[in-house]
Amino acid sequence: MIQDYVIFTGVNILLAWSVYIILMSGSLSFANGAFMLIGAYVSGVLTVKLGVPLLVAAPIAGLATFAFGVLVGFPALRTRGIYLILVTVGIAVSVRGVIESIPYVGGVQGFGGMSGASPWHVVALVIVVGCALWLVSRSPLQRILDAVREDELVAGSLGINIVHVKLVCFGVGAGLAAVAGSFYAHYMLHVSPDGFGILVSVYIVLYVVLGGTNNLWGPILGATIMTLVPEMIRGIAEWRPTVFGLMIIVLLLLRPDGLLAFRIATVRRRRPSGRREAASQEPR
Amino acid sequence: MLVEQIINGIVLGSMYALIAQGYTLVFGVLDKLNFAHSEIFMLGGFIAVASVALGSPLAIAFLITIAISGLIGLVVELVGFRKFRSRDAHITAALSSFAIGLVIIDLTQKAWGTESVSIALPDELRIASIEVLGIRLVLVKLAILALSLLLMLVLHLVVVRTALGRSIRAVADSAADAALYGINVTRVTQLVFFIASALAGVAGMALAVRTGYANTETGFSFGLKALAIMAIGGMGDLRGAFLGGLLVGVLEALAFQWALGQLADVAVWLFMICVLLVRPAGLFGTAGSRDTRA
Repeated sequence: MIQDYVIFTGVNILLAWSVYIILMSGSLSFANGAFMLIGAYVSGVLTVKLGVPLLVAAPIAGLATFAFGVLVGFPALRTRGIYLILVTVGIAVSVRGVIESIPYVGGVQGFGGMSGASPWHVVALVIVVGCALWLVSRSPLQRILDAVREDELVAGSLGINIVHVKLVCFGVGAGLAAVAGSFYAHYMLHVSPDGFGILVSVYIVLYVVLGGTNNLWGPILGATIMTLVPEMIRGIAEWRPTVFGLMIIVLLLLRPDGLLAFRIATVRRRRPSGRREAASQEPR
Repeated sequence: MLVEQIINGIVLGSMYALIAQGYTLVFGVLDKLNFAHSEIFMLGGFIAVASVALGSPLAIAFLITIAISGLIGLVVELVGFRKFRSRDAHITAALSSFAIGLVIIDLTQKAWGTESVSIALPDELRIASIEVLGIRLVLVKLAILALSLLLMLVLHLVVVRTALGRSIRAVADSAADAALYGINVTRVTQLVFFIASALAGVAGMALAVRTGYANTETGFSFGLKALAIMAIGGMGDLRGAFLGGLLVGVLEALAFQWALGQLADVAVWLFMICVLLVRPAGLFGTAGSRDTRA
């Protein structure tokens, strides 16, 4: 039982981070559930049909989904941010439908036979990804991301290739969701497409928004609470969508800037250096 | 048989178009996606079911559906969009409207359950048909087609010909400029939400009358497709949403005819992704055509 909690919480943290990475560059993805599904199937086919070990199959699934994300994200990002939201909704709906119509992977019945994931894999992965994100948050890369997110025009005029940055973030987010999906599938032993509708993707986004988009701890908090609390209190599980929905609405209304409340936190985090101190005194 | 399928497709497409008009109106005026829209469509079916169950004739049920869906649209505007006006708040608005959609689904399921709820209308009403030139035409479908075409024609005339429509187009063009000319931007936005949601509610009622039941899943399975159609037709373009709706309806009916099954549902979204790839401004018209833009 405790094993289940560890796995589910860990996978949800990874998924929340995958959305967080995309949000860092100022895009929103409703497709991470679909990327998770792709990861589950790619790694599943590799381990079950081709006999590849899981620890090799998961990264391959991640890379394949990274490539897929870049491929579908490119045309949408080239135009306007809002198109990417639309494209992700499209991906979320169509990936499920396409997989359901492929008999090779079991169609509507789903795909089974995977095994071998232990909670330790997921815990290790959470630690590795967490460290990577923490290193990024202290590196110049974070400032590039901040610039792109806060003001594309300014970022562009500073010589930052906005499309490139957003595309890489989108791809990395997709890849991470796929790796999380691989381990999830190899723990559950069986996955079926109808468990990965657009609602799954929406919930992942809600984890991040509820926990906080300011830094990498927010998604951990959101994913952990949202995974464990409904398990503990049955009443909440029954009213989950309403409770979640109302919480999100209230949260967004209380912070009129919504996700743009990012800025306060980023400024605060950077106090140590004198030059950035000056930047924080600029009017927002 | 083929002709009947095409007619089915046009009827289906007219319902898609009704919903897509709402998406595109809101997008045109606010530049934001309203993810609660498909759930208002879903709820429209249940409002119709409930008012018919309470004994009101179809015409009254129609008016009740318009009124209640429109009012819910106003709530969506107030809660989900009023505070997120700035240009780069499209993520926030998408999230808040999606959250409202979740609440609507959940509350509807709490009220009516997750199973389909049938509408209390005699079966003859749904089956009654006439035969013209050897083609069987189901009267309800013809009525739905006529009603949606009429509503869209009225909407078009309002937007293009009236002072009201002029202020809607002005706000769509630039809210700041419109405000300078003395247009009450908030009123216009509310009005747009009322119209959009009322149309979605009517489409929901039409679907409930045609199929004989309302279901909480139709929001995601049917209503959300209109979002793809809006993008296919050109975002913010009323005429594009209309043509796109008909096109997708007919294509889907043909896909059904050719037994493509599962893929028919997905095809719209793949089509949308391809259109955004090649022509981000949509299949019909150009991005700059202001006269058809809401």
